[in-house]
Amino acid sequence: MTLKGAQFGQGGIVAAVTLVVFAVFAVLLDGFAALANAVVLVRSVSVLGILATGMAIVVIARGLDLSQVATMAAVSAWMLKLMGGGLPIWVALLAGLALALVIGLINGALIAYVEMPALFVTLAMGFLIFGAVRTGLLGGDMLVYLPESAQGLQVLGQGAVLGIPVPVFLFAGVALAAHFLLSATSIGRFIYAHGDNSETARLTGIPVRPLTLLEYALSAAAGYIAGLIMAASSGSVDLRIINSTLNFDAILVVVLGGISLSGGRGGIGNVLAGTALIGTLLNGMVIMNLSAEVQSIVKGLVLLGAILLDNALHPTDEEVMRQGDI
Amino acid sequence: MIRSTLRTLLAGALAAGTLTAGALSLPASANAQEALGASRAAIEARQRFNAAFEGKTIAFVPITMGIPLTITWKDTIEREAAELGMKFVMRDPNLDMGAMTQAVSALIGGKPDVMVVHNPSVQLLAKLLKKAEKAGIHVIQINMASNTPTSAYIGADFYRIGKETAEDIVAQCGAGSGRSGKVAIVEGDPTSSVSMEEVTAAKAVFAEHPEIQVVSSQPGYWDANKAREITASVLTQHPDLCATFGVWGIMQLGAGQAIKEAGLTGKVLNYANGGGPQVICDSIKAGLIDKYWSFDAKLQGHDIMTAVKMILQSGAAPGELRTVLYSDTNVITADNADGACWQMPGQ
Repeated sequence: MTLKGAQFGQGGIVAAVTLVVFAVFAVLLDGFAALANAVVLVRSVSVLGILATGMAIVVIARGLDLSQVATMAAVSAWMLKLMGGGLPIWVALLAGLALALVIGLINGALIAYVEMPALFVTLAMGFLIFGAVRTGLLGGDMLVYLPESAQGLQVLGQGAVLGIPVPVFLFAGVALAAHFLLSATSIGRFIYAHGDNSETARLTGIPVRPLTLLEYALSAAAGYIAGLIMAASSGSVDLRIINSTLNFDAILVVVLGGISLSGGRGGIGNVLAGTALIGTLLNGMVIMNLSAEVQSIVKGLVLLGAILLDNALHPTDEEVMRQGDI
Repeated sequence: MIRSTLRTLLAGALAAGTLTAGALSLPASANAQEALGASRAAIEARQRFNAAFEGKTIAFVPITMGIPLTITWKDTIEREAAELGMKFVMRDPNLDMGAMTQAVSALIGGKPDVMVVHNPSVQLLAKLLKKAEKAGIHVIQINMASNTPTSAYIGADFYRIGKETAEDIVAQCGAGSGRSGKVAIVEGDPTSSVSMEEVTAAKAVFAEHPEIQVVSSQPGYWDANKAREITASVLTQHPDLCATFGVWGIMQLGAGQAIKEAGLTGKVLNYANGGGPQVICDSIKAGLIDKYWSFDAKLQGHDIMTAVKMILQSGAAPGELRTVLYSDTNVITADNADGACWQMPGQ
């Protein structure tokens, strides 16, 4: 945590880059700077932002969650299925939350107690969730629709208060809660200590293993909320999202914002900066009507640039060498 | 002692069983005409028909199960194959391109007589389909074509759908309509034949009408959420958008949600197409989609089996035939949405 200066370094740089990109788009593209477009911009990254907030907690603790999007899609699809089967909405919502938390706890337990690497545990868990939920709970369906009886849920995705879409409020709420947890509670301090140096954290009496369970449960919970918004927005859940790059986009936002993969550094401010840059880029590229290939080149270059910056600001040192890179 | 008694009993039971079965089947074998037909010609036709399919295998490899199209195709193929006495096998690659090539390779090794494939892109299976034909397997492609032509392509004429949709858009948004003429296209996966055909056809039509301006043509990758996000961005940029055209209905429901969220239902026309499951008709009635070209997936499943019947009876070797069966298409709007869609099998 002595590197707080460096962390703000990247977050600040990204925020500045975002402003520059925004200004360029605002000058070049008609209607980009309009308030309505700003609302659309934030609205369109709210799901990604929520996922990235959960991911940030895990990454700060020097972990990684590659099963977050699988959790998101599988749990929300199951909830819609339950509602379609006649279960009251709130029961289905609770059941979904419980399933998400269980998945997170299993991830955490395998990483903390069995001491398997997070990368492989969560990668495998992603496959497992996809297959098991699809065959076991969805009867083989890839596409599940919001049933007629649960149309009220659409408010979460399509509603607006004072002209601001509900997903934006949910993103703000999740970000605030995570910020409070990380910066104002002892658990938050413990998470930083865990990521900074797990062994030292343990030696100083921090319950590192139960803490790991909490971290992955929070990441899964973020997936749960993001899944709810997604299901409510389009009125359906399409399990194909699991095969998309969304999970990596969430990691991209986290790293881009300046939360180092070597753990212990960064905060929710960084997530916001990363989300803002990605949102601005995506929105601007859609308005410019760039082709898919060009968009993918831009995204790839931005990620490489961010990792380069991360490397320059947090060069490989003795501590990283000893712990090994992710 | 007990064992030998048991054995005797069992043998007795078996003999009795055989006798009964023989007695029951006696009339049928005694009078073959009743089982096969009344006239000599009918008997021979039936014998030829049965011999073409008896004990043969049909394999089905969709890009994934669990979506309305593939569920319906599988249901029809499996049922009709059973009626023909054919063995049905399926591999579900779950949208994993690697798994799909592996599944097709493994099937080629197992040599089914017919293989029905659903190409995610024009290139992915191009080489493997050639290999399958060389190995003596008839290949039927369903809805999404490969660069390699095979015994049959069965599916919608997506070029025609793209053209007709675009012509309708020109009529609604073009010269004399008093509307902006601004059109957005939501592509699917740009490497899929469905997306390529529809987008090329639509753009060719729009190019002849300078008053039509394509303000956005972005890939939605078959994902409703992506279609929603793209359309929301386009709508803030062009609130006077006249129409949006998505190459697949389920994806384009997302565009419909974006139009609804922007309060522009009825003002921005939403065009799509697909296999016509019930959820689409419900959405058309709810105003999420205005006009939908439907290529009835149930009929397509039947078309596949009709092609199988023709191909196997023709005696042609794999690689000899190059046929195309475009699916019957009809247009669904709010006026005829009642009963125009099909329920999923088992519902």
